[in-house]
This record gives sequence, C-alpha cells and structure tokens, in this order.
Amino acid sequence: MREVKDLTWKSLEKLKDPVKAFSNRCPLYYERYAGKEDDFGYSLETFAKWEPLFRFLYEEYFQVEIRGIENIPGDGRAILVGNHSGLLPLDGAMISMAMCNLHQNPRRIRYLSTDWFFHLPGLSNWVKETGQVRATKDNAQKLLAVEELVGIYPEGIRGVGKPFAERYRVLDFHPGFVQLAIATQSPLIPVATVGGDEIFPEFVNLHKVARFLQMPFFPVTLGFPWLPAPLMFMPLPVRWMINIHKPINLGYPAEKANDRKLVMKLTREVQYQIQRDLNKLLRERRSTLTGWDEAELDGELPKP
Amino acid sequence: MSQFLSNYRDFLKQATKSDKYHGFDVRALVRVEPMLSFLFHDWWRVEFNGLEKLPKEGAALIVGNSGSFLPWPATMLLYALMSSRVNPRRLHIVADMDWIKDERLFASFLELGFVPFSSANMKRLFAKGELVAIFPEGAAGLARPFSARERLIEFDWVKLLPAVEEGVPIFPIATLGCDEAIPVLTNLDAIAKMLNLPSFPITPFFPWLPFPFNLASLPTKWNMSILKPLSYEKAEDRDLIEETSMKQSQFAEGEIQAELNRLLRQRWRAK
Repeated sequence: MREVKDLTWKSLEKLKDPVKAFSNRCPLYYERYAGKEDDFGYSLETFAKWEPLFRFLYEEYFQVEIRGIENIPGDGRAILVGNHSGLLPLDGAMISMAMCNLHQNPRRIRYLSTDWFFHLPGLSNWVKETGQVRATKDNAQKLLAVEELVGIYPEGIRGVGKPFAERYRVLDFHPGFVQLAIATQSPLIPVATVGGDEIFPEFVNLHKVARFLQMPFFPVTLGFPWLPAPLMFMPLPVRWMINIHKPINLGYPAEKANDRKLVMKLTREVQYQIQRDLNKLLRERRSTLTGWDEAELDGELPKP
Repeated sequence: MSQFLSNYRDFLKQATKSDKYHGFDVRALVRVEPMLSFLFHDWWRVEFNGLEKLPKEGAALIVGNSGSFLPWPATMLLYALMSSRVNPRRLHIVADMDWIKDERLFASFLELGFVPFSSANMKRLFAKGELVAIFPEGAAGLARPFSARERLIEFDWVKLLPAVEEGVPIFPIATLGCDEAIPVLTNLDAIAKMLNLPSFPITPFFPWLPFPFNLASLPTKWNMSILKPLSYEKAEDRDLIEETSMKQSQFAEGEIQAELNRLLRQRWRAK
C-alpha cells in the first residue's frame, strides 16, 4: 500500500532517468558495477531499466520470502545451484532481485542459460545485457576466474517445461556443475525455490508444435496460446519461498574433476538436498496462494 | 497347509532355519497368504523390480517409504520375498510398536515377522545374518496427507545407526502407488492424543464404515523397485558412525524420492 500512496505524477519522472533512480535506491550495487567493462555484454542501464518490473514481481506480486540470503558470500567466486521452474524462468530473476536489494553486499548473478535465448532476434541482446551468459564450460570458467557469482540450473531447459502434475519433482541433475566446482575450487550453494512451478500451470506440452517452431517446448497453460499478447504471460499470484543453503565446500583437489563416479555422487547429493528442502517447504505451506503462516516464516529451516 | 508346503518349499527351507526369537510363526503366514497373494497379484498388481539385487544370504537392510494409513508396503515386500522363485527369504520388519497396547494384536504382528525397534534387536538380527526392513519415516508416514503423496518425510537417521555400525549393506526400495491406495484426507491430532495413538488419519473409509471395510483400499497400480545398495565405508569412531548414518539416510531418502519421481514421470508419459 505504501507504494500506491507514493505514486504521484512526480514519481513518473523516475521513468525518464531509470539509471539515476536506480543509483539512488541501490547505491552499493550501482557503484560496484558502474562504468565497468564486461566481456559478456552486461549493461547496467538495461538492468536499471528493467529492475523495477522484477522488483514489483518480487515484492508485491509473488511476495517472495527468502531464507538464508546471508549464506551467499558478498565477494569471491561461488556457484548457485537450484531447481528450475516456471516456463518463463522467473526463479533466477527473483534471486537476482534479492541479491540486488536485500543482500548486505549486493552483487549480480551470472546465469548460464541455453543457446535458444541467444538465437532469438529480439531477446538475445536483452538476455545478455541483464547478465546471462551462454552456457559453455569456457564461459563458466572465465566468469569464476574473475570471482563472479555464477547461477546454474542443472535440470536445464527440461526443468522449466515441467507439466503441472510434476511440480517440485526435481529431474536428474546434469553433473557439469560439480565438475566445474571441483575444477575451479569454488563453493556450491544449493537453492530451493517453491512457487515457480505454479505460476504457469502447464497442462500439456505440444512436442510437435514445439519442434515446428523450434522452441524448446510449447506449453498450453491457462493463458498461453489463447489470450492476446501481454495477458498470455500473466503469472498467477503464487506466494514464493526461496531457501538458500549454507555453501558447500567440496574440498577435493582440482584433478578430481575427472573422477566420474565421485562427480556423479556429489551431484546426486546436491540434487537430493534440494528435493528434500522442497518437500519440507511444501509440507509447511498452508496453501498455494496465501503461502506460509506468518509465525512459521520467522523460524529458520533446520539445517542438517 | 500342504498346498502352502509345495508352493513355498524354498521359502520354508530358509524360514525354518531362520530366527524365531521374537515370536515369528509360519502358521500365521500360511493363514494370511491367500489374502496377501490376492492383494499382490490381483488388487494392486504389484510390479516388483530388482529382487535379484538382494544377497542370497547374509545380513542386509532394506529401507523404504511407508504407505499411508496401514503398513502395506512392508507386507507386500514380505510377500514378494516369500513367493520369489529366485531369492526366497524371510523378512524381519523392524518398526515402532510401542503404541500397540493390545497384546493379541501385538502378538499377531510378531507372528508375521514384525520386530519392535531397538538397536539391540537389530544388531541381533544382523549378527544372525537376517534380512531386515525398516521404514524410517515412522508414524508420520502413515498419516501423510493425499496432497503430499509420493513426497517423502524426512528419514529418521537414528534408525540406520545399527546397520551402519555393523557395516551391513543398505538397499533402498521405492514403492509407488501405496499413497493413492488409501488417500488420507486429514489427520486428527487431538483424537490421536486422546486415544494414545501415533496418528488418527481420516480416509474415505476409515472411521465411517463398519470394521473390516474401514481398512479398505483402492485398487491402484503399484510399482516397487529395489535400488542399488548405498556405498559407504564402515567406521569405527562414534562421531564418524553418526555422520555416516546421517549422510546415508539422507542419500537413501533422495534415491527413493528420485526413483518415485522417475516412476511417476513414466506413468504420466505412458498415458
């Protein structure tokens, strides 16, 4: 409600210069990245322009609750690993918002995303400018070498296109992220997101149409192919919860990155950790749209 | 009885040698065998995979997810092991049975092969080279609501301690379908406390229908699969044992949940 009261004609002036408005609101973040060259095409201007929309989604629309944001280090390399969800990958954007607005030492997250985004004429620049990077091993290693925070969703694009019946059932993780973590000696941070899988309930996935349009999947949701353009991307106002675990330092020497058996075992452990968190959060949740009890929200999720 | 003798010759050979300390009685199994057979083959049409993974002899532990309302997965596992042609073995099901106050009921559970949970009991069985099954979700698993079906409740890692101490191989088993067979609508904690029961689930049948019918279940299709054994090293140090046990119980839980997810996905894809 506070937001609505503050909304006057004057507040529209912010739209004229989003970068200035952003630098006023998040000075730490702005100072950290202003005027810096980036090899992968990050642009603070684009980020500042789009940040209010995603912040609205974060604060007002999904009312995201985040637990354990302090577990993400403010400096130094680290890899975020999470369960992917929600057709439009908003889960990544929500964690980015938390890192930008709520963290002591705000920083950006560089997500490794699929090639498909980079083929789209309109979207490819936007995706690059908001911080995403094409998912290759080289890119990831380069990012970690300059002490960036890298976000990986090891389920890949399959995880985004989960049908509604399979919500919060993690697909088997691709072991690449563990290999990367061992090779570059960076800590892993498992992240469990509840909410993303219900914002666009996918009833069917039309494989043939998807193949014809060269899309990774072609979902049929409440709104998707039926409603006119902006409405079909309207998410349901689900209450979100993001749980961030303590960083896991794997503690194996870099040569071990090629030990397939070990890498597979560690991958499974991280996957099971995330699935267990999801199960626990779902058990605590009262309902999809209203979420958790206020009293329960204060409590920390007990960590094993 | 004679029919049973010829059908279950291999099982009986094994079972007569095995441990009767806790009050096991083959005659009880003979009595319920027709019902178990009906449930296994006709009612739930259980598809059982991976039985050959279990060792032919020697101690082993099976860890599984419990079904809602009644411990049917345990009895189905018991039946599968009993009727197997390849690898017939007697199963000891270790469970929390302190809440059963009625002695006749308690004794009939023992006759089927249930054993009250205690570290000493489990170690005794392992020392004798017996096959033991536990369902570490405990009583909470029996009251799992239908909305959380096929989602595991955190495993109680303490229940794995005796096995880890003895270095016994641990086999996870995933059971799909048991949660839909008896949908638990809600759990009335207040009544459970009043009656000194671990939980008081309400199902479409349970408190409403007269006695044998309130234990009814729906004819869902079941899949049970035994997964490959957990690999861990036997530890000597107490702290290390506890850490291993905690880790292995989490890993077993994850394996079972991942297998359930896979089976569910297959089921939905098949439609």
